[in-house]
Amino acid sequence: MKREKNTWTRALKAALGTLYSMTPMLLAVIGLVGLFQTYITPEMIHSFFTGSALYDTLIGTVTGAISVGQPFISYIIGGGLSQQGVSLYAVTAFILSFVTLGVVQLPMEYTLFGMRFTLVRNLLSFLFSILVSVMTVWTLEVLL
Amino acid sequence: MTVSEREKSFGRILLLIIISLYLLATLFDPASAGQALMKSLSVLKNIAPVLLIVLFLMTLLSAYIQPQKIFHYLGRKSGLKGWGIALGGGVLSHGPDYLWYPILSDLRARGVNEGLIVAFFYARSVKVPWLPMMASYFGIAFTVILTFYILLAAVIQGKIAEKIIPPQSTI
Repeated sequence: MKREKNTWTRALKAALGTLYSMTPMLLAVIGLVGLFQTYITPEMIHSFFTGSALYDTLIGTVTGAISVGQPFISYIIGGGLSQQGVSLYAVTAFILSFVTLGVVQLPMEYTLFGMRFTLVRNLLSFLFSILVSVMTVWTLEVLL
Repeated sequence: MTVSEREKSFGRILLLIIISLYLLATLFDPASAGQALMKSLSVLKNIAPVLLIVLFLMTLLSAYIQPQKIFHYLGRKSGLKGWGIALGGGVLSHGPDYLWYPILSDLRARGVNEGLIVAFFYARSVKVPWLPMMASYFGIAFTVILTFYILLAAVIQGKIAEKIIPPQSTI
């Protein structure tokens, strides 16, 4: 019983130590989130779209990657874009990259996982945001 | 798990840069700087419960879960159960990605397949609590099809990453 308590205490101290060491990085990312949420507004995101499905899909992926916030914000912005006539390909790519890509967390990902992992994961997420959006809209069009 | 000196100093430098950005913003646009600070504080308040979950999981991992067990269930040869755990964990995990970085980099060092970590991250884009809202905006069919493709894409990306990223196991 005492041995188990010691194991638990030691593990808790180690975990607290790890999180404490990461505090500056975590605070930096959170600070960056606040800046992005303030300076990258939904109006700014809306202004990037042109009406061309191909170009807008790419823009949707990029703007999703630089946006931050709760997922529902991407649905609200995506819904607004859709009402403005922006293609569903672009809206889907935006929603997807909003949650799968994150420019603000790149420095932390790079520090903990290394350059190769970060590069591969983010490049794959970027490409698949486009692919998944195309497949989703095609399937939707075939089925409905 | 230990955080290297390089990682610690990188974190400090990054924090200094962000503080400088806030100071600059305060100088030129104090209202927006204040707004950004309030938003950051709100994020901090929101992630606190998830941070506690992460702390608990890290403690549990360190105290009771042997590296051999992790390797068995989530290593390169874990098979279908490994993919199931990665996808299920990704879908059910809450909070921003960066909160999960410490525990995932720890697991990676203990022999978890890199492909499973990549799949976990992509599966996190299925946000169960927000699915009804997505359905209300874009329809049920769209939501179901998108969720299916996200999970499929998570596995494909994981498989590709497995081939490209060399194993980092320390056991």
